Amino acid sequence: MSNALSRAVERYGAFRDEWYALPALVAVSLVVLAAMPFLRQLALFGVAPLGWLSLNMLIITLVWATTAQAWNIMSGYTGQFSFGHAAFFGLGAYTTIILTGTFGISPWVGMLLSSVIAAVYGLIIGALTFRYDLEGHYFALATLAFAELLRYVFTNVPQLGGASGFFRPLAREYADGPGLVAFQFTGDLPYYYLILGFLTVVTVVSLAINRSQLGYYLFAIREREQAAAAIGVPTYRYKLLAVAVSAFFTAWPGAFWAMYFNTIRPSTVFDLLVNVEILLPAIVGGVGTVLGPIVGSLIVIPVGEFVRQSFEIPGLNNAVYGAILIAIVLYSPKGVISWPSRFVDLLRARTDLLDDDAA
Amino acid sequence: MLSSFFLDACGREAAAVVGALDATAAPAVLGLSLPSPTIFAQYFVFAVLLGGIYGLVALGLTMIFGVMDVINFAHGALMVVAMYTVLVFSDATGLSPFFAIPFAVVLLFAFGVAIYRSTIAPIIDAPQENQLIVTFGVLLILVSGVEMIFGADPQQLGLNLGSLELSGVFVPRGQLYALVIALIALSGTWLFLQRTMLGRAIRGTADNRDGAQYVGIDVPRIDALTFGIGAALAGLAGGVIPLFQSFTPALGDQYLINAFVVVVLGGLGSFPGAFVGGLIIGFIQVFGQAYLGGSTYQIVIFLAFILVLLVKPEGLLGGSADE
Repeated sequence: MSNALSRAVERYGAFRDEWYALPALVAVSLVVLAAMPFLRQLALFGVAPLGWLSLNMLIITLVWATTAQAWNIMSGYTGQFSFGHAAFFGLGAYTTIILTGTFGISPWVGMLLSSVIAAVYGLIIGALTFRYDLEGHYFALATLAFAELLRYVFTNVPQLGGASGFFRPLAREYADGPGLVAFQFTGDLPYYYLILGFLTVVTVVSLAINRSQLGYYLFAIREREQAAAAIGVPTYRYKLLAVAVSAFFTAWPGAFWAMYFNTIRPSTVFDLLVNVEILLPAIVGGVGTVLGPIVGSLIVIPVGEFVRQSFEIPGLNNAVYGAILIAIVLYSPKGVISWPSRFVDLLRARTDLLDDDAA
Repeated sequence: MLSSFFLDACGREAAAVVGALDATAAPAVLGLSLPSPTIFAQYFVFAVLLGGIYGLVALGLTMIFGVMDVINFAHGALMVVAMYTVLVFSDATGLSPFFAIPFAVVLLFAFGVAIYRSTIAPIIDAPQENQLIVTFGVLLILVSGVEMIFGADPQQLGLNLGSLELSGVFVPRGQLYALVIALIALSGTWLFLQRTMLGRAIRGTADNRDGAQYVGIDVPRIDALTFGIGAALAGLAGGVIPLFQSFTPALGDQYLINAFVVVVLGGLGSFPGAFVGGLIIGFIQVFGQAYLGGSTYQIVIFLAFILVLLVKPEGLLGGSADE
């Protein structure tokens, strides 16, 4: 093996054990994301390698990155596998649009209220399911049932929009016109930086939890709940806290969705598939890690959106998602985020072997 | 108004009323203050027929769950594959769909074994979420594949089986045949599990996987067989649906979600439970469509589901596959 490579491997191996490694990597990836709208236009020798990425794709990518980051706090850190996060996403979208469209309330106030409502709904789900000790399949099915329940409530109550949902109100109906105050913009670029801002907030919260005593409590619950309870962790209370925080932040990208797209309908924000799109980036990137949801979303969502937007074949993007899901769970359940470390460990093991032979 | 409802009900439109997704005929009756005994009997018949179909849909799901502890999200997608298999087979051969259904069952058995070997077997001991995600991936691929080949528009066989009339109450033949097939499938699977050595091995594996391994049962082989039978039962359920209903690639999802409810209501792994749960959902759906309008009945179904999950998660007739 070349010396340069082995030195690089050694240096990375030392770096990843430092306390600042994770915050540094998080900062780097957020900076890269901030530069993304320009990077995609960058041409090397007349070819733009990222030219196929539209701003719209990048926005959708960050929406699902943010939901996955929020999902991760409950399901990745605490191990309570939610298959019904569409409930919180949809509540975020609907509450915001109803408050803004019907009552003329600022979408920002609407978003905060919607995240409180989502957190309360999360607390109700958590209080019921944890009280009755639902685990594994039963927990996943229960969360799915709570999400599907909302879908049919919103479909069948005309005051909540019914099956046709709501149109996004015009900015001048409740504000002076498009702008940050109105949560509406004329181009895509401000939307991109807004959702990047949401992602940054949720990521910082996730990192803070990861590094705090709260985080260690949550990890302990995930690894062995009874043991955690035995050493004095109030597991019920901390599981509820994780659900509430996760639901609170899942409502943000939901509110963003409502203010970015022209319409919302039960079949778009509460759909069965939304539950999957929310957790997909985290699964692909690495469940329970801070960087996993971001890296995973960058891999899987642009591919899916590209396939959906460039081929006139409906359903092809879902088939791609399905294939990626199966491949990741079968061959790399720790996610893409584990690949550099696996690579380093592999190389180190080989170097050690070679050294032994030489000796 | 009433007679038009009944005339509708005995034709293909009966499929729409009973077949779940369309409540157009219901408002015609909503105007009445008190249902006459005949209307009530008519709804009762529809509810029983629909309940039987739900029971059949849940059978394969509950079997895989009871034996392998795997929630098969691909179950509805396997049904969709069977629906289109029946369509293609009938079109290609010109034979009655009753010949196509056994073909779909055999095909889906092979399909199920292949899916098990390639995606489930490697992670059978992994956390439960992994199996859920993998079967959901299979769902996405199968449904998208069918949609890519056949499009998303509704398809139908163009059968007109008509109805039987029993003192003013109409029994649509399509659903009736489906119910009969469901009962035959139930008793056939039950006899297989109770009366054959393989069936005993499956029941033993359901009871205690490690114990089964110790006494020499080839558990991976039993798993493959179980998954194959589960998929074959999905094939049977999907195969009978074209007898009375037009179908799209998305129809599997709608049946799947309610089949989960049926399975949990009846108790995961319980065969009689699947039919009891199916009947409960059938009654909620038919009477809910008639008296609540829209798809409000789904709200009732999910509330019932959440209630049972919380209060009695082992289901109303909870037990393992051998009961």
